[in-house]
Amino acid sequence: MKENIKKIFHNPMLIVFILILIFFTPLSIYSPGENRNRGIVTAIGIDKNNQEIEISLLTFIPTANQTYKVKSSIISGKGTTVAEAVYDAQLQMGRKIGLAHAKTTIVNEELLSEDVSMYVDYLSRVASLPENTVFISTNNTAKELLETSQSLENELGLKLEQLVGFNANNIYVTDTSLEAFYKGYFSEVKSSIIGSISLEESDKGSNQEETNVDDSKENSSSNKKISNKGEAVLLKDGKMVAKLNIDQLNGINLLNTRALNQIITIDNVKLNDDLYTLNYRIKNKNIFSNTNFENDIPIYTIQLKLGMELVEINGLHDAIKMNTEFSEINEEIQNKLDIEIKKQFTNALNVLKENKTDVLGINEKFFRENRIMYLKYIENLENIDDFLDKVNFKLNVIIQPD
Amino acid sequence: MIDKKISVRQAGILIIICLMANKILLLPSLMFQQIKSDSIFAIILMFSLDLIFLPIFLKLKSLYPNEKLIEIISKKMSKIVAKIIYIIFAIYFIFKVLLVFSITYVYFKQQIYQDEFLWLIIISCLPVINHALTVGLRAFSRTIELLFSIVIVGFILCLAFSLFTEMSMPILFVSDIKSFFSSIYKHAFSFGDYLFLFVIIDKIDIKKGDSKKLYEYSIFGMILVILLFIIFFSKYQVTAFMHNNALADILVFSIQFNAIGRLDIIAMLTIMSITLFQLEIFAYGFCDSFINLFPKLNKFVVILFFDLLFALLYYFSIGKYEILVNTSHYWSPMLGIFVNYVFPIICLIIIALSRRRKNERKY
Repeated sequence: MKENIKKIFHNPMLIVFILILIFFTPLSIYSPGENRNRGIVTAIGIDKNNQEIEISLLTFIPTANQTYKVKSSIISGKGTTVAEAVYDAQLQMGRKIGLAHAKTTIVNEELLSEDVSMYVDYLSRVASLPENTVFISTNNTAKELLETSQSLENELGLKLEQLVGFNANNIYVTDTSLEAFYKGYFSEVKSSIIGSISLEESDKGSNQEETNVDDSKENSSSNKKISNKGEAVLLKDGKMVAKLNIDQLNGINLLNTRALNQIITIDNVKLNDDLYTLNYRIKNKNIFSNTNFENDIPIYTIQLKLGMELVEINGLHDAIKMNTEFSEINEEIQNKLDIEIKKQFTNALNVLKENKTDVLGINEKFFRENRIMYLKYIENLENIDDFLDKVNFKLNVIIQPD
Repeated sequence: MIDKKISVRQAGILIIICLMANKILLLPSLMFQQIKSDSIFAIILMFSLDLIFLPIFLKLKSLYPNEKLIEIISKKMSKIVAKIIYIIFAIYFIFKVLLVFSITYVYFKQQIYQDEFLWLIIISCLPVINHALTVGLRAFSRTIELLFSIVIVGFILCLAFSLFTEMSMPILFVSDIKSFFSSIYKHAFSFGDYLFLFVIIDKIDIKKGDSKKLYEYSIFGMILVILLFIIFFSKYQVTAFMHNNALADILVFSIQFNAIGRLDIIAMLTIMSITLFQLEIFAYGFCDSFINLFPKLNKFVVILFFDLLFALLYYFSIGKYEILVNTSHYWSPMLGIFVNYVFPIICLIIIALSRRRKNERKY
């Protein structure tokens, strides 16, 4: 027995193991739980009022309970900089702030009148905040949006980032995250898009029994409700230059293979001698694009192959039968869809050109495919931002029934 | 340090682990700041230069199968030259240990602990390193060999998961020749990993026909690192300079995976294992060099000296991340240049001298 024990203690790794046990066991027994020292932040809101920055943190402090519900609250801090405001919020909370689980960052539109990167600098510099954090703006204060989202989560179990995540997958041209913002901000053209969620006055009295589940979620605890109209904010040098509505975003998204399910509506389509309004959904998409210079003019050629599905017919319903003949895309429908799609694309392009915001990556594509010609061309321009305006776009739409 | 010999497979695995040193976390971001995505060409060039070490090593090994490097240099040049070279080796290895440790320390500080936990990680790492040094090269090589498959699977998983997010080809050929070579010069210290093979030249058992294996392992390790660079730049493009932990960041910053939980645990475990292995290897390199400088010293004294030196360099902030990274552009290229270019030339001279003597004997 003695020999065996001696043998065991001859193993140096065992001694190391025992030493670690001796050192760490009392430490772990006596050290308080992390929740005593740290509050976990799931969303951050930044507002600016008269040169004072207010930071609102949707925080939950883990406590043992027998349900799946977690209790979260909003804690605010004020200061002249974001760092000061966060420090103030820590004082209010009596805990350190843990940002590793922060999924959403909201800024109000007032902050976007200046270069917003200086307000999110603290958050991206504090490396514990993941940069895939959803980054959005709001027309009201970020604090109000967080408060409203809190009740949305409590009542419907719907989180703000899930709402924005749907937009990011279907409406926005890129992810609306801090990373996506920085990708645009640090690019040559310094243009990015971030999502926007609005708050609207709730008309509780008139529709108390209605439950709106499509794109606006009613908040029963406050007078405001979250209204997700699928809007986004166009930023140049970190400053807001335009607000894009869903149609403009759909126009931009025509060049984004990820963005599907957009609805294209065409009016006055003649079917069985009657006029109908048809709604088509983009079910699948293939994009082939090419860049070249013809007579020193940059040409961007796009061939858009769209698989379209008829989803709704508005008109004389007596005459409509549920048969397949309506699903056929005849020449008239093709022409009308072609015109409608090109109109959407041109409208979106005009907004981008007006604001000199190349969020489509046109400059990059020319640089990749025709580097010498492109560099020579922009040498003659006063500003690289003028390039988008000079590009001649050729859009060829091929519509196929799905 | 008296050790039993290791196999070629074990030596190959050690080389793969060394090839990953300093390159899987911070280096891609640092190089991107200077030469953008052309860092991919830089790393390919540096690996190609590194690979030249291998035939030199194999030739030297075939000429002196059982002799220590210090004995070979002493015999063919002089004892003083051998001592000077070994002093440089000791400095090179201790700074390798410090750099690997400090980069990983900062990574864990960002990922898990927000506060300083230096003493905690030192207490966790040093006993493992000390144990490896005590049991010797063969024992810790076997441990690394045993866990190697798991580590490589972790590494490949990190690369594979990152492919599920949006990527586009990095834009190449954007830097000028001057900044390209200046970047290579600045980061020379992160290369030259074959030096470790020279230090343990007498402890590798290379049978006839085994040398091919070393090439295979080396190329496999290099491909993994190059793939990491390509994926990292494809994913982050212009923001690559903001992401200091390449292997972890290609996995973490993906909205899709964030939704199903923290997959970055794979990166954490892989990085932790690779770091521990690298620390063991480089610490061994330091202790072996030191013991060859002072052969009368007891092994345990050398290990204790390593611990003290490591702690002191940290205490006086020399080993700290910020200082190492900020100042490494000034002092480390010199060490890197010696290891990468001067030392192979010395070896080539030794080979040439040995050959001449052989020829003289023939006639």
